[in-house]
Formats: sequence, structure tokens, C-alpha cells
Amino acid sequence: MPQRIEVRLAWRNVWRNWRRTALTVAATVFAVFLVEMSVAMSAGTHSKMIEDGVKMASGHLTLSGRGYLEQRTLEQFVPASAELERLLDRTEAIIGWAARVSSFALLSFGDRSNGVAVLGVDPARESSVSSLPTRVSSGRFLSSDGRREIVLGAALARDLAAEVGDELLLYGIAYSLETAYELFRVVGILRIPSPDLERALALISLRDAQEFFVYGDRVSEIAILARDAEAGLALRDPLEAALVALGTEGLELYGWAELMPELEQFVLLDRGGMYLQLIILVVVVGFGILNTILMSVLERTRELGVMRALGLSSGAVSRIVYLESMAVSAVGLVIGLALAAPCALYFEQNPIPLRGEFEAMTELLGMEPLIVFDFAPAQVGYVSLMVAIVALLAAAYPAFKAGRLRPVDALRSL
Amino acid sequence: MNWRLCWLSWLAAVACSLALAGFPAAAELLPAPAGVDASAIAKGAEGSLRADRTFFRARMTVTSPRLARPRVIEFSSWEDLPRKRSFVRIHRPAKDAGTSFLKQHPNLWMYIPRVERTVRVPPSMMSQSWMGSDFSNDDLVRESSEIEDYSHRLLGVDPDEGQGSGAYVLEYLPHESVAVVWGRIVAWIDIESGFALRQEFYDEDGEKLRLLRFEDVREVEGRRVPHRWTLTPLDKEGHETRIEMLEIAFDPELADSIFTRRNLEKGR
Repeated sequence: MPQRIEVRLAWRNVWRNWRRTALTVAATVFAVFLVEMSVAMSAGTHSKMIEDGVKMASGHLTLSGRGYLEQRTLEQFVPASAELERLLDRTEAIIGWAARVSSFALLSFGDRSNGVAVLGVDPARESSVSSLPTRVSSGRFLSSDGRREIVLGAALARDLAAEVGDELLLYGIAYSLETAYELFRVVGILRIPSPDLERALALISLRDAQEFFVYGDRVSEIAILARDAEAGLALRDPLEAALVALGTEGLELYGWAELMPELEQFVLLDRGGMYLQLIILVVVVGFGILNTILMSVLERTRELGVMRALGLSSGAVSRIVYLESMAVSAVGLVIGLALAAPCALYFEQNPIPLRGEFEAMTELLGMEPLIVFDFAPAQVGYVSLMVAIVALLAAAYPAFKAGRLRPVDALRSL
Repeated sequence: MNWRLCWLSWLAAVACSLALAGFPAAAELLPAPAGVDASAIAKGAEGSLRADRTFFRARMTVTSPRLARPRVIEFSSWEDLPRKRSFVRIHRPAKDAGTSFLKQHPNLWMYIPRVERTVRVPPSMMSQSWMGSDFSNDDLVRESSEIEDYSHRLLGVDPDEGQGSGAYVLEYLPHESVAVVWGRIVAWIDIESGFALRQEFYDEDGEKLRLLRFEDVREVEGRRVPHRWTLTPLDKEGHETRIEMLEIAFDPELADSIFTRRNLEKGR
């Protein structure tokens, strides 16, 4: 039984120089561990980035009037509709939705003034979609029954030198093209981990905004939150169809990637960087395996020659070398994954907080200063596949070399 | 399938669209007579629209599909170009009466009497609508000069415009070093009288954004002045802003006391 003898020979070879084998296994374990951890980390970071970004503003999907993407003025709106609200409430994949009025206006206090993005939000509903209500650093969020309350981004408040309790003038052009001006009292300051937003955002209640901008019961947008980005993507088509069935003409659904292209680009760029890093890691592992197997072949030139002389075919010799390399990689892979999976799962439950410079950096990107892991069985699948392919490729040359040995030459060497 | 025919028709289509894109309106223009100084024509036209010092009272009518009735705003304007200052006071509608604007280079101040507040209009608000019209705050305080900040080129003569002998068609391109709002302006200027008939404004991508027409030319203090300015934004369907001059005075005495915060906060 030639097959059996090859397996037995390979197995024996693996154990004969156990130190060499252990080193190769260790190298593979280390690489597999690193690959799996970095895959889990970037998966976690990317979905966290998207979730954070989405919860800062747009939701996974945003419903508004056609042209909203390009213009974002009061001209694009969603008319009030009880049917639409029922549809959003009824759709299971939607875990939260909130209507908003958004426009540009001038906010002034004392002799300072700034152009601001005014967002009229429903204080009761907003927290079902966005993290804004939880980001109050002093004072409080808008109350449901309060009138002419305003909440400012911290940087905006600093620019205006305004504090909680101050009365600010909001001036703008209403939908009716009248001038609109009204005094608002600051009730809260928001810390928003995005400097641009923190410098520009002023929140008032939806009701005040509709009155201020003479907007009737229209709203500028409805932000819709799904369970995660994937669910948001899956929700888009059915929701669009349901909206068409409802007869809502002139409305359009926008995905978060359309509304925040810079976020999507950043995620894509980062993902590209991750792949590059993975490829380098895996190539290094490949050379490690190549090196050990090649060494073991060169070391045993004479022995392999004897085997050939005793009648083992050249294919069988190649297969032995192949089997050795497969066994070593497989053991390394299993141990590596066995170590990495619990670690990734642990960090998935307990994200690593960032401090100091890194904290400032992530805030610049509009993220929470946390390293988040996301472990998924699919990752184990493709990490295994990658390592297997590399091990096969790395063993090819030594196996080929072993098969090519001529018994006469081999017996003469040391 | 006859591929050669396909190719040819494709080429023809490309050539046609290139020709159309490359020479807008050029088809119906007559070549300009030699020896005409484009800058001098532009300067002359600008002179008929404003002087160094100008006072005017005007009625601005804003039409929009949003409005059942046009919105009417009456205001007075004092402009002192050499000293880069101007003052505008709103008279109508009642809600805005007394609202005033003071431009003192490089600041723009706004006073709202109803809430008794003076507000400095920040640069970020400059592109926003002025009083709900299709003019922007930037138009109100425009720093750039269509004469000094642009180079002028004569494109040709449009025989269908103006009185009798047609109109010069001029292209204004901003000088590279100057920060201006427009990427290109095309102006029609009446050959006989030398005053502006209309202007088209393009952004930097070459998209036509607005059309400004000057009509109802009347004589004031020996100068022929268009009394109706109509601005049509091309990116907002159905919107139009018309300014009708009710009273114009060129080079009046403009007291320094006009251009003060005190005058601003005096209200009406």
C-alpha cells in the first residue's frame, strides 16, 4: 500500500526533528493569531466607524425629497403623512426613525456670530436613531414641551462665547422666503466627536423649527436606523418598493454611504490597508514554511536517495514532503485559531479604550476612542483558506526538488 | 452588423456635441468689427449701472412657486464705492421695516429692530439668500469689480439684441489671482447706447447659474439708466427676483454719519 507508507514516512519525519517542527508550528501559530486578530479588529473598527458615523447624523437610510443629496435646502422635504409613519413603524427591520428639519441659519450672541446647521429634532424620537441626545456635556437635551430651547455643539458654543442659560438670536430665511428671527435659550452643550459637526451644529425642537422656517408640517428628512449597516442595505429595496406602493412621489431614499462618502472612502481605504498588511504577513509565513521544509529536504538528500534507490517513486517522495508541510501548517493553524478566537471574543465583549494621542486622533475621525473587535466564523474560514493556500505553495518547491533527486547523485552527497 | 457605419455615426455624434459644447451661441454671432476695445465697452456699460456714489430707492419683487403672491420688499441703498462702504435700509414689508445693513470693508453688519440686535454677518453666510430673494448677501456687498477683477474679450455681435445695430457679446474671465464667485460672465451690451442688456453668470465648472436682465431704460440726471433688473436663477425652477428703481441719484453728498453703527441701530 504505497499511500500508507507515504503517510507513515511523513509522520515519522515530522517527529524526527521535533525542534524544527515545533519552531515551524510556532511561526505558523503566531502568524495565524496575528492575522485573525487583525481581521477581527478591522472588521470591528469598520463597523464601529460606520455605526458611530451613522448615529451622528444620517441613520442607515435617509428619506427626503429628490435632490437632497446635491442641495440640502428647505426645497427638499417630506410632507407629513400618517400612512408613511405607519409604514415605518410596521417595517420590522427598522429599529428607529426620526423626522428632522434641517437648514442653514445665522446664530448670534453678543458681537459674535456664526453660520450654523440648524437641526430641528423631535426630542422624544431622536434617541431612537442618533447618539446626539446622549452627548450632552453640560445642561440637558431639548425637552419635549419646552419652547425656544437650543442645544449647541461645544466648539460652536466656544466660538460664540455662549453658555447654558444665554439667549441667542437665530436668523434665517424661512421656506416662505420671509426673514425669520427668534431668540433661543441655550439649555445644553453637546460634545460631538467630530470637530466639523461640533463647530456647526445647533439643535432646536422639530416644532420650533417648523414654526421658525414657516415649514408647516413638512420635514426635511426622516433618518432611519436598522440593526446594522448590512441590514440597512438589505432594507433599502423593499422599503423603496413599499414607498412607491404608498404613492409618495418626489421622495428618495439615500444610503449612509451617499450622504457620508468620506466615511465610506475612509473605510475602504482602511480595509485596503488591512488587506495589504495581511498579504505581507501571510507571505512571511509562507517563506517560513518554505525555509523549514527546504532545509529538511536538503538535510535528508542522502536518505531520500536511499528511498528512491529502494524503489519509492519520485511522486511518492514529493508527496511525503507535501504531507509533512501540510501536517505542520494544519497543526499551526488549529492552535493559532484556538488561541485567537477566545482572545477576539474577549475583546469583542471588552473593547480596548484608547488614551492620549490616539484618543485625540480617533476623535478627529469622529469615532469613539475604542478599539472594537468583531469576531465572525466567516473570518476563521478565510484565514484558514489563506494559510492553506500559502502552505501548499510554499511546499511546492521543496517537494518538486525532492522528487527530482537522482538516486545516484543523492547517495553520493553527505 | 455594419461596424463601419456604427463607427461613423458615433464619430459624427461626438463631433456634433463637441461643436455644440465648444461654441455656445457662437453660431448666430456675427464677427466683431476690428479695433473695438472690449474693456472700454465693459467699463462704459458698468458706468451706466452705477456711479462711484449712488443713492437709490427700489422695490424688489420675489416670485417663487412656494409663494401664492410675490413677496415685495422696498428698500433704500447708499453706496460709496471708493471708500468701500454701503448702507441699506428696508422699508417694507412691515415685519422687516427698519432692518438695516451696513457694509464697512470687510465687515457686514445687520440690525434687526424687532429684537434690537446687531449681528455681524460672517463670511460663511455670504452665499445665503439676501432677504429671501435670489440675490445673495455677497451680491449686496460685492467686493469684486467686473472691470478690475476680470479680463474682457469680445466674442462677436448679436444682431438680434438691442436697438437697431445689435449688441456686443463680451466674455469676462476672472484674473487668476482674484477670488470671485463666478468662473465666467457673458454680457450683451447695446452697440448704440453702450449700456448693458443682460448678463449670464457661469460657475467654475462652466454651468450657467443665473441670468440678469436690465430693462426699462430711462434718463436720470442726463444718464440713461435701466430701471428694472431681473434676476433668474437657473438652478431653481420658477424663481425670479425683480428690482425696480423708484428713485436714483448719482454722486449725491453722502455724509459720513450714514455709514455708522449709530445710524444702523436708529431703525427706520
